[in-house]
Amino acid sequence: MARKPSIYPYFWRAPLLIWQGLFFVGPLILMVAMSFWLVRNYRMEPDFVLANWERMLTRDYFWSAYQVTFLRASIAAALASLFAFPASYALAFLVSETTRRWAIFFLIVPFFTSYLVRVYAWQVLLAESGPVNAVIGFVGLGPFTMLNSGFGAMVGYLTLIMPLVVILQTFSLAAIDRNLIEAAWNLGASPRRTLVRVIVPAAKVGLILGAVFAFILSFGDFVSPFYLGGSKPPTLSILIIDTTKSGQQWPRAAVVAVMMILTLFTVAFAAVGAAYRRNA
Amino acid sequence: MTDATPLVRFSQVRKSYGAIEAVRGIDLDIDRGEFVAIMGPSGCGKTTTLRMLAGLETPTDGTITIDGRVTNSLPAHERDTPLVWQSLALFPFLNVAQNVEFGLKMRDVPRAERQAKVALWLERLGLEGFEHRRIDQLSGGQKQRVALARSLITEPEMLLLDEPLSALDAHLVVRMQGVLTRLQKELGITFVYVTHSQSEAFAMSDRVVIMGHGEIVQIGRPREIFRAPRNRFVAEFVGHNNILSGTVTQGEIDVDGVRLPLAGVSDGPAEIVVAADRMEIYGSPPSSPALKAAFVSEEFAGAGVICYFEGPGDLELRAQVPEARLAELAPEPGKPFWLAWAADSPHVLTHREGRT
Repeated sequence: MARKPSIYPYFWRAPLLIWQGLFFVGPLILMVAMSFWLVRNYRMEPDFVLANWERMLTRDYFWSAYQVTFLRASIAAALASLFAFPASYALAFLVSETTRRWAIFFLIVPFFTSYLVRVYAWQVLLAESGPVNAVIGFVGLGPFTMLNSGFGAMVGYLTLIMPLVVILQTFSLAAIDRNLIEAAWNLGASPRRTLVRVIVPAAKVGLILGAVFAFILSFGDFVSPFYLGGSKPPTLSILIIDTTKSGQQWPRAAVVAVMMILTLFTVAFAAVGAAYRRNA
Repeated sequence: MTDATPLVRFSQVRKSYGAIEAVRGIDLDIDRGEFVAIMGPSGCGKTTTLRMLAGLETPTDGTITIDGRVTNSLPAHERDTPLVWQSLALFPFLNVAQNVEFGLKMRDVPRAERQAKVALWLERLGLEGFEHRRIDQLSGGQKQRVALARSLITEPEMLLLDEPLSALDAHLVVRMQGVLTRLQKELGITFVYVTHSQSEAFAMSDRVVIMGHGEIVQIGRPREIFRAPRNRFVAEFVGHNNILSGTVTQGEIDVDGVRLPLAGVSDGPAEIVVAADRMEIYGSPPSSPALKAAFVSEEFAGAGVICYFEGPGDLELRAQVPEARLAELAPEPGKPFWLAWAADSPHVLTHREGRT
């Protein structure tokens, strides 16, 4: 019996589809189109030329910015996943349900304040004459230059992504069936091997998603590399700003943006594929 | 170690969680090659007992000896006491072969030997060709057999089972019971089987341990427990029993004014158990004394029909009859019947005190 098609499911999907169409797909198409436009006398003209692409993709400064951005985002994702794991493990397995709830709450609190404000706070803390150097000075070291460096940018990235990574990891670890962990012990796995052989594989999806979010947020971030990283070397986000400021080169900036989007699509696609890959 | 020492000895083992006492000082010996069922209602401490044996819980008091060695605080992963979980706890991120070889891998057995053993155990449990299947592609019975293969591959001296069949369909339960008893006989190892199901426990085990409220209430062969429950708790928990109290005088027991024959019991108050299949039902008052009871309902059981009655003083009575006999009796709710039993049928409860 053929079922009469119902508009009901479409009704609920409509808002999301309209929203995504208007604010994601639309601008994306516009941006891709714009990357083929021409700038004449500081004005953009719709056109179809490959000049912007050729100009950006043959320049070393683009590729070095790309490399810096990709490398930093990868390191930030790796460090965040690594640093977050012990905390997530403790929250998932070692504390009471109540403590876990409070911890999740306090991990959400940082999102109440603007990321920009928190980055400004780091500027004070990490300054040459700031409190962190003062503490290091007590043991006779330093002062270290922490601002306007890769280190500064990394501190900023971790500020942005750590709470989210801890939350995602904690949820995925807490969702593991405890019987699986006990079964591993019961079959002769030491606690360390249980961690590697059972806990990590069982929480794989959440751990990978945490790292992917960390990568995406760091890859596109402008605030940390600008205010803490000193924009030298520039990341792709800084390159976009610079390109638009110099001679209204929006089409060239669009090329950078499209390259970023393509990278994020590839990374997210590969990661989600890996997360949900099953044993054949 | 001489063969006289039991494989497992619980001695005065107690386990409490804060103020809650899950296990209250149990003594139990389990021999090599024995199939022991630990049975009791939920919360009786049977699973805690099993988990202490596996090292997943540490006794609060007392000692657990395995092979003559006190193992109270030996970590779970240093024992060879594999457990089959009720949920089976198969690793969903590993395939069948990887699940089965897990224990060998953790013992750093070389790859070639692991593969040979995996093949052997999969064959033994009828799982050839399933090596590369994912766990979620298996049926309930197949999962069960993977769990068994995974637990047995290290060739342990004992296998612990925690209600492993409770999630299966009825027809599969019977088949798996066959698989389990055959395996246990072939391997000659000890099985400790925790269940709340009387039919599973009685069908498979050499000895049944009945637990209630954290204590062992009775240990015995299935038939012993069935025919001679030690107290009211066991009689109520095990099967279809009638539990009657009355006063004994001169070889007769007075149950609510009806004097029924009872041999070999000294005078005084007594509690007796008559199994449902030993009850006789009469459609009209028989010449010998019988309890008058109103029919309540019937229930089909494997070997016949269990009829429920309400006797004098709201006494709940049950009798098992063959289906043909039921047709003759033509019971209807409220219709009176007379129930009696042969003089040698009742079993006298020796421990009248508690419900445990």
